[in-house]
Amino acid sequence: MKKSKHKLLSFAYFLQGSKRYNNIKNFVYDLIENDDYPYKKYFDFFMIFVILSSVTLLVMDVKRHIPDWLDDFDLYFVTTVFVVEYLLRMWVYSDIHKIIIDEFEESSYFDKEVRLSSLFAKIVKNKWEYMTSFSAIIDLIAILPSYRGLRVLRVFVLFRAFKMLRYTKSLTGFLYVLKNKKFELMTLLTLSTFFIFIAGIMLYVFEGDNDNPNIHNLFDAFYWALITISTVGYGDIAPITPEGRIVTMLIIFTGIGLISFVTSIIVSSFNERLGVLREDRVVQEVGKKKKLTVVCGYGLLGRLVVRGLEKEGVEFVIIDRSEEMAALAYNDGYHAICADATKGEIFEKLGIAERISHVLCLTADDIQNAFIAVNVKSLNDRVHVAARCSDHEIATKMECAHVDQVIMPEEVAGMMGAVYAGEPVAFEVLLSIIEEKEKTQINEVAIAEGSFLDNKAIGDVDFEKLRLILLGVFKRSENSKLGEFIFNPSDELVLNAGDNLVCIGYSTAIANLKRKM
Amino acid sequence: MEKQQNIVLFGYGSFGRQLYKNLRSRGHNVKVVVGLDDYVEVDSDSNINITRINIKRNDEILALNINAEESIFYCAMNKTANNLFLVLTLKSLYPMANVISNSNSNETTRKLKYAGATSVIDLYEATSRRIVNVLTKPAVSMALDEIVYKQNDLKMLEIELEENTFLEGRYVNEIRFRQMGIILIAIIDKELGYELVFTDHRINHKLDAGDILVIVAKEKDINKFQEMLNKG
Repeated sequence: MKKSKHKLLSFAYFLQGSKRYNNIKNFVYDLIENDDYPYKKYFDFFMIFVILSSVTLLVMDVKRHIPDWLDDFDLYFVTTVFVVEYLLRMWVYSDIHKIIIDEFEESSYFDKEVRLSSLFAKIVKNKWEYMTSFSAIIDLIAILPSYRGLRVLRVFVLFRAFKMLRYTKSLTGFLYVLKNKKFELMTLLTLSTFFIFIAGIMLYVFEGDNDNPNIHNLFDAFYWALITISTVGYGDIAPITPEGRIVTMLIIFTGIGLISFVTSIIVSSFNERLGVLREDRVVQEVGKKKKLTVVCGYGLLGRLVVRGLEKEGVEFVIIDRSEEMAALAYNDGYHAICADATKGEIFEKLGIAERISHVLCLTADDIQNAFIAVNVKSLNDRVHVAARCSDHEIATKMECAHVDQVIMPEEVAGMMGAVYAGEPVAFEVLLSIIEEKEKTQINEVAIAEGSFLDNKAIGDVDFEKLRLILLGVFKRSENSKLGEFIFNPSDELVLNAGDNLVCIGYSTAIANLKRKM
Repeated sequence: MEKQQNIVLFGYGSFGRQLYKNLRSRGHNVKVVVGLDDYVEVDSDSNINITRINIKRNDEILALNINAEESIFYCAMNKTANNLFLVLTLKSLYPMANVISNSNSNETTRKLKYAGATSVIDLYEATSRRIVNVLTKPAVSMALDEIVYKQNDLKMLEIELEENTFLEGRYVNEIRFRQMGIILIAIIDKELGYELVFTDHRINHKLDAGDILVIVAKEKDINKFQEMLNKG
């Protein structure tokens, strides 16, 4: 006895330590349970195919007998697939060896003998938890039709169709709604059952004794009550006595009330859920991107920035606290989520640790922006954070919180306005190169290794022929990404790979230089 | 070297305040006018003189005694509707007036231009460009910071050529601006009309009196250049 216990424990430890066993288990888990696993969808497609083929066979079998090989396919192949799937799901649901190890460790701690019966009970209880879950029951019922002894079990093939819910995420949303409103729906169900019960009995009492040839028993009366209360009203059974008709009138009114009640509950619940469903989809879509910019606030500035980002091909997602603004962004065709950017939750969902490279805080409220910036920086301080601000004092505070860039729209615009007063022409120039409304633009070109500008002195480069005005050069240096800005570099300055040229020129001239790189 | 202007600034909100500061630092004369019930926040260290009038009344604006021909009007009220109304008022009082207004969107800009504003400054356009540049063109954004936004000795400015300078009659390509520490970005060549042209070497302009050069340079080089121009 002791020996076998010892064997059990060492086997449990073996499983715990085995890399291969864990790898296989993880792989199976990913394949059937993990929505983020890229190959899960192939498994899902396969299962949907198996289910659909099984249901098709059921339908075909009604009118004419299907060939034997198809019947065999249904009986053996489909059943095997389902049984294997069921067992695998049960397997990955929990780790038995962990339960064994826990039990042994616990008992050695208290210096007690392990009782195999209690250990066994624990394991069974653990797996029983899985077996009694909703989806597991569906899975089990879907296997039953393979038993050909009972004809009625064939209908359970349709439960196989229910299994499909598991493979399509949007449908589970619907189930979630039903679950969410369980209390309301149950109340209504109880209420309508009560009405059907009362009305059925009343009709039976009034018309059951041979007055109405269609009502033979209590079941007929209940059937009639349900058909009437649901406003379906086939009319195969109809009341003929005045008492019966009064009962009918009463339950028609309650019926209309109940139906509209149920409809409104489901519709409103869907509306509540819609935002979450949309958010899930957005998170899933941006989850595929490698680099992501988060724009917080879809106000006037947010909209302009977003348009600019779109033009430059930057991947971004918009977060706005107001539902209205988020919906507006969504309708403008962007990825948008209605969420509170001052909370960590949404950033974690979007992948602050691996995906997000920049966060732009552009709401109209300075304090809100500071709050968002601090939130982001505290989650991951490598993320580049830019914040909008209209107050110098708050700007200093933001800089204290290591916000990488503080931008004050009023300051920028105020400076531009002042330039206009004394130098209207310079203002025009500024406007056209800053706002990029004209074809002439300011742009940067990084010097590629081995390109015609690598290792060349400025004086030897014919910028005239390139049709570009060279403003300056960022020399690459060890300690910073861009290095220092050298305005109007002398002819002797030698360019190297990694340096950045800042030029003004016609867009085609700049594109031309970039192509040469 | 910058021309001193007489400026009437309507509105002293967060944008108005920044505008005032920048205008003053460039040495312009600024008269600040605000509406009767506008809230005004004044820094304790600035001795600014604010006139309060009812901007809806023509006679009160006329009573300011503004020489419209030699002034620039800035409409920097907090509300778009007020700016629009002000532009209309000013244009009806002084048809030739130089009126500049701030705006917060393309939509507003269109209306202000229609109302007769000479130029419109979008509060967010330049800022949004700047934010996008930081993400997509870091070098450009840093270069612009140095030239435009930061207060340092690197400046962008315009110079109108007077009669008999050493540049008169010569071509742009002949002159070695770069060696003088000056980068010539754009030019208004009178011979080609009053349109602004970037000097990206597509046309070799002949310089004459009355042409306007837009240059970027360090302060000391600008001063040297000015001296050379004055010597003729």
